[in-house]
Amino acid sequence: MHIFHIHYRNTQGTLMRIINAASRRALELPYVKAEANANGHQATLLLEVTPKQIGQLRRDWYAIVDVTEVQVSIAEFETGLGVPHPPISAGDESVRSATA
Amino acid sequence: MLRGAEITLQCMRAEGVDLVFGYPGGAIMPLYDALDGSGIKHILTRHEQGAVFAAEGVARATGKVGVAMATSGPGATNLVTGIADAKMDSVPLVCITGQVRSALIGTDAFQETDVFGLTLSLTKWSRLVKTIEEIPSVIAEGFHWARSGRPGPVVIDIPTDILKAKIEFSGPVKFVPQANPSNGHGQPLFANELVSLLEKAKKPVALVGAGAKLSGAIADLRRLLDHLQIPTFATVHGLGAVPPSASYYLGMVGMHGTMASNMALDETDLLLVFGARLDDRVTGDPSRFSPNAKIVHFEIDPAQLDRVRQCELPIVGDLAETIPATHAVLRGISLPDWSEWRGVACGEERLGLEPRGLAVPTIRFLDELFSRLPENHVVIADVGQHQMWAAQRYRSCLPRGFITSGGLGSMGFALPAAIGVQMSKPDATVLCVSGDGGFQMNIQELATVHRLGLPIKMVIIDNKFLGMVRQWQQLFYQRNYAETDLSDNPDFVAISKAYKIHGQRISEDAMREFPISPETSDELERFLHSPQSELLVFDTAPEANVFPMVPAGASLSEMLLEED
Repeated sequence: MHIFHIHYRNTQGTLMRIINAASRRALELPYVKAEANANGHQATLLLEVTPKQIGQLRRDWYAIVDVTEVQVSIAEFETGLGVPHPPISAGDESVRSATA
Repeated sequence: MLRGAEITLQCMRAEGVDLVFGYPGGAIMPLYDALDGSGIKHILTRHEQGAVFAAEGVARATGKVGVAMATSGPGATNLVTGIADAKMDSVPLVCITGQVRSALIGTDAFQETDVFGLTLSLTKWSRLVKTIEEIPSVIAEGFHWARSGRPGPVVIDIPTDILKAKIEFSGPVKFVPQANPSNGHGQPLFANELVSLLEKAKKPVALVGAGAKLSGAIADLRRLLDHLQIPTFATVHGLGAVPPSASYYLGMVGMHGTMASNMALDETDLLLVFGARLDDRVTGDPSRFSPNAKIVHFEIDPAQLDRVRQCELPIVGDLAETIPATHAVLRGISLPDWSEWRGVACGEERLGLEPRGLAVPTIRFLDELFSRLPENHVVIADVGQHQMWAAQRYRSCLPRGFITSGGLGSMGFALPAAIGVQMSKPDATVLCVSGDGGFQMNIQELATVHRLGLPIKMVIIDNKFLGMVRQWQQLFYQRNYAETDLSDNPDFVAISKAYKIHGQRISEDAMREFPISPETSDELERFLHSPQSELLVFDTAPEANVFPMVPAGASLSEMLLEED
């Protein structure tokens, strides 16, 4: 597993384009987080990828107009970032109550 | 006070737009209402796909940004194929779409679609305009991204209430992009490494793609290639970049490339790639592509590097800068003697393969047409067997002389694209070559041709099949011609007459005589030099095939030269 930190300017659609680079390759997205920071915004993705895919993803993200930097590292489960975040199913009671 | 519609058009005008193609509808009506007096000529096509392909024709023929307009919902979704086409072939394109009024967005309103979301993966940049105040900056930024770096498509979606709103307008603005920190592709000096690779190479070759043309670096590239004198070939989008008369030029490479090109690419130990992305139509099986080659990749878009295999030396940047810089470096260097390799790669044994079989009359027909084209011409090919035959036989050295949908392979591209080409190059002879399948996909644009009086020369290679698919069915599916039979085609000549366009047929028998008869020759001359639009239907053998052919999943060395 690899952690990708993609720094970007939070313009319309940029985050979606970042995620799309992974989703179009049918990569599972066990963990995605996007947040503002001192330098703009950062998206963090946890992905199971091959070395070749790492290169491809880096280049695809840099091709996005408002992406400013891409950092890659091997996932470290001790930090908690390596813990998969399972998707909530539509049958989940907590979801139903939240959307009621 | 100006409406958002007037502001949009003024900002487009400031970007150099004087021609747009489109189709009106409810949401975009305010923009159409403002066209009069805007200085922008609007061409009404008969389908939005016709509009976007026509806009692509302008962009591909001139390098300027092509512009298409459509209304919301189905109007916008009908642009999607053209947007994808522009993305794959690096075409600068801006699509302006109307959108339902802001308060209705997200409610599945009448003719509402999420165009922004729909085209996210197909666009270089896009924007749903939220306020009238941001129109000038959005237009400026959209056009910037469409034309800069690796060109591509942009979508600007404008809700109808914003087109109708009014503000005091102080004028168009300029877009200045923010500088990004280095993406790791900063260009260290590459000279030493490049020279080292060339000095060690025994069988170097050069591949030229669309990027060499898009960069405007053709003259510099030709000088560099003349200096190197190494076997050189082109992708379908690179045709015309290298003069066919060059002794080292081997023609098109790839799935239907020449035997000489494919063999050289398979045998090379050093591949110089100029503005090509090494897609699967060129490489064949990527795992067996050029097994001995080190790759030097001249490319403006880092995303295209290492897609097939890691390149030894990426040279990232505008080819208009990197090619002259490379030539400057190599001028003072003594390069190895590659004459023996050149003699093998460019020898008659490999280059002299002549067409055989059922395809001969069609190939002769195209040869006859191409040999009669004036210097100022553009050939537009649709998608299919005729496209490959046309690409194989095209011999001009006009960089923008051969236009086709390469990466996406969109049938129905040629006729509307030809409209855009002819509009942007009114003095050129525009030859539009289609198959009987593809021609019917945008046949309604004959109305546009007639209304505008465009003297486009339209050819249909009519084999009464979806020919390329049929070929694959013959070779790989035991002749199971599932759903490729077009034997009940309509009378295209009668249809052209219904659209008030002169049309006629010619049989392939006319091409069996060699040389062709004076009557046939005169007819072809008349067709090409007629001052009006013309349709010529060429009846040809249903089971003619395109060779050479590299089967899908095969390596270049496994190309088929003829049917078994």
